[in-house]
Amino acid sequence: MNRVAMEGKVLSENERAATELRAEFARHGVFAVNLIGSPGSGKTALLERTLESFDPSRRVAILTGDIQTDADAQRLSRYGFPARQITTAGACHLDARMVRRALEGLDLAAIDLLFIENVGNLVCPTSYDLGEAHKIVLLSVTEGEEKPLKYPGIFFKADLMALTKVDLLPYVPFQASVAEANARSIHPDIAIVRVSSLLKTGLDDWLEWIDRHATAIATV
Amino acid sequence: MHEVALAGSILEAVRAEALTRKPARPVKVGVRIGEMAGIDPDSLAFCFEALVQGTELEPLELEIEPGSADELEFCYLELEPT
Repeated sequence: MNRVAMEGKVLSENERAATELRAEFARHGVFAVNLIGSPGSGKTALLERTLESFDPSRRVAILTGDIQTDADAQRLSRYGFPARQITTAGACHLDARMVRRALEGLDLAAIDLLFIENVGNLVCPTSYDLGEAHKIVLLSVTEGEEKPLKYPGIFFKADLMALTKVDLLPYVPFQASVAEANARSIHPDIAIVRVSSLLKTGLDDWLEWIDRHATAIATV
Repeated sequence: MHEVALAGSILEAVRAEALTRKPARPVKVGVRIGEMAGIDPDSLAFCFEALVQGTELEPLELEIEPGSADELEFCYLELEPT
């Protein structure tokens, strides 16, 4: 028996595609973020409030992933910015090749900010780099404070956690401080914002985080 | 859920590596998976076995070693001279 060393990442094909995407985003000064959260955690709603708040001159585009239907792209295209649907036909995550395909024909030079809304899932999207600058995890207050401990991977990799639906806090047995402490026990430096897309609260903190990090990219 | 895709990626890489090592045949592949990688080792082992069945690589074995953080890397390939 002969044992040889084998090196490299298991997802090397995705890694290659993601590295190319990242280089392309850098070349065109595109700040890309990858939004990850359970189905129903409020990813699309948060994006709706975000787009609504933007000046029409803002150079932003959205890719939104789902297993089926273009319902989300329809919802998101109402705000006058290019929104494209990626239907994965069963796959539980987006991969870098899907993103590359979805971007075909879109002029990246005309875009400064790209939101990629992943398929609703706290597990699988964690493993797939999409060339984004940051992963952002959404946790809604109807899900339970222990989610960061149960699904540590995404809380470890995300740079920002958006605690969503905080308007429901008075009605659910969810302690925001416990959820936040749990997230920090996995990832001490994770930034946290509390938002309600329904009441439009906390959006300033969210937008400030996005703008601050987008600026950091633009000036590199 | 995405363990099937991962198992497929592992097999692709083994096939590519085996081509360069002919005529020896691969019998075991080792990977390292960290706790934060979001991979269930049991599920990956199950998917891997299912995908190998009926292919020229059967009975290829998969060994999963614990890795650090979100590591998801290959470590070795065992070959048998033919």
